[in-house]
Amino acid sequence: MTTNGDVLIKVDDVHKVYNKKLHALNGVSNEIRKGEVVVIIGPSGSGKSTFLRSLNLLEVPTTGHIYFEGTDITSKKTDIDKHRQKMGMVFQHFNLFPHKTILDNITLAPMKLLGKSKEEAQKRGMELLRLVGLEEKANGYPSQLSGGQKQRIAIVRSLAMDPDVMLFDEPTSALDPEMVGEVLELMKKLAHDGMTMVVVTHEMGFAKEVGTRCIFMDEGQIKEEGAPEEFFDHPTEPRLQDFLSKVL
Amino acid sequence: MANFQDKFILNFITDNRWHYIWNGLLTTLQITFFAVLLGITLGFLIAIVRSTHDKTGRMKIGNVICNIYITVIRGTPVVVQLMIIYYVVFSSVDINKVIVAILAFGMNSGAYVAEIFRSGIMSVDQGQFEAGRSLGFNYRQTMIHIITPQAFKNVLPALGNEFIVLLKETSVSGYIAMQDLTKGGDIIRSRTFDAFMPLIAVAIIYLVMVMIFSKLVSMLERRLRNSDH
Ligand SMILES: Nc1ncnc2c1ncn2[C@@H]1O[C@H](COP(=O)(O)OP(=O)(O)OP(=O)(O)O)[C@@H](O)[C@H]1O
Ligand SMILES: [Mg+2]
Repeated sequence: MTTNGDVLIKVDDVHKVYNKKLHALNGVSNEIRKGEVVVIIGPSGSGKSTFLRSLNLLEVPTTGHIYFEGTDITSKKTDIDKHRQKMGMVFQHFNLFPHKTILDNITLAPMKLLGKSKEEAQKRGMELLRLVGLEEKANGYPSQLSGGQKQRIAIVRSLAMDPDVMLFDEPTSALDPEMVGEVLELMKKLAHDGMTMVVVTHEMGFAKEVGTRCIFMDEGQIKEEGAPEEFFDHPTEPRLQDFLSKVL
Repeated sequence: MANFQDKFILNFITDNRWHYIWNGLLTTLQITFFAVLLGITLGFLIAIVRSTHDKTGRMKIGNVICNIYITVIRGTPVVVQLMIIYYVVFSSVDINKVIVAILAFGMNSGAYVAEIFRSGIMSVDQGQFEAGRSLGFNYRQTMIHIITPQAFKNVLPALGNEFIVLLKETSVSGYIAMQDLTKGGDIIRSRTFDAFMPLIAVAIIYLVMVMIFSKLVSMLERRLRNSDH
């Protein structure tokens, strides 16, 4: 492993069962360390999204524990909203707020949750917009943006909360091919700036180039994990070999 | 033509009969205005309880109570509800009839508004909810800042329609001997034995109010739409 930072998220034997019989997660344990870029791949229905979404408790594990920065967030006593402020999440379908301007999308949470003043939040918002080259869209609405622009704004909206980790669930899967690059570029930039990231994706190029660790999920379990080089070049798990032969 | 003029004078000018129409109109507007406020408030609260139950499974008892309320209100005629509130609930209390009417029509409207709001809330994409929660907003904050503004916009046409229905439904206020607009016209009819003129006048006034209101709603709709599409 390329990093040996502190453990940021610890997943301890998590199971997720839907409707009493569908085992979406079947005993998953893992540790995500500061500065890591963890890429999760696997076939459809293997539990990638369920795993990612349980990290910020959008899906509540049926059993097992998840610790974020040392706190058991699966405990009923934990104020999950406070911890979610430190965990950015980016969705396949962007989920920008259509009734708010681009700038308001970015400043809403910092103002309401961090108590930032409007000027402060907007100043930071404009900085972030400049980072992604979309400052002239500040007063426009999400519906006026292309898919790639929407996703970059969604990333920026999360960054405005200064998260300690960013979770991405297939951030480029809903994009036209020509827009995938601009989003991956931004993610790469984040990774280089040291952001801890967990990314579910089908972009194997990104996984190889930017990932510090790759996880292969199948049937609700982590079947193989490792640094990208050995993971892609010398997979041991037959299911992973099979999967890679299909997608590469 | 002279005949028309005579009838007009008889129905509206003699004995200041237009006062029946004018005072009736004021009463109708008063009832409608406050019933709309009550209906929105009640409807909003019920919708929040119901959709919170739908989304999270919480508030089971509240949901049951709201369900019963909606079923009863929507399953019985508003004029019967009005009479029950006046002659049964407040039978032994000396209470202003306007307040009775506001309560009856407001409570009635609340049941319909609740279902309109609820469908609006449920029609907002689940991803909006998840985006709010993942930023760290709690359930209530997500509702306030993200879901209800979008829900309100989605249901504005249906809401406008509901208030037009409410305005017209207040015309049964005469059943508890209130002198609203409709009753005003009817009183003139009983004095002058001319049905045509006072009733047509009343009809035109309702129509004009509805048209003005529809116009306002569509202007508001356009403004909201322009702001994000
Ligand atoms: N809310 C839910 N209710 C019931 N079953 C669910 C729910 N969410 C996910 N599942 C099921 O759990 C399993 C894992 O789903 P998950 O979405 O985690 O897969 P995935 O690896 O992300 O797949 P994909 O690549 O298609 O996004 C699937 O069988 C799915 O049908
Ligand atoms: Mg998925």
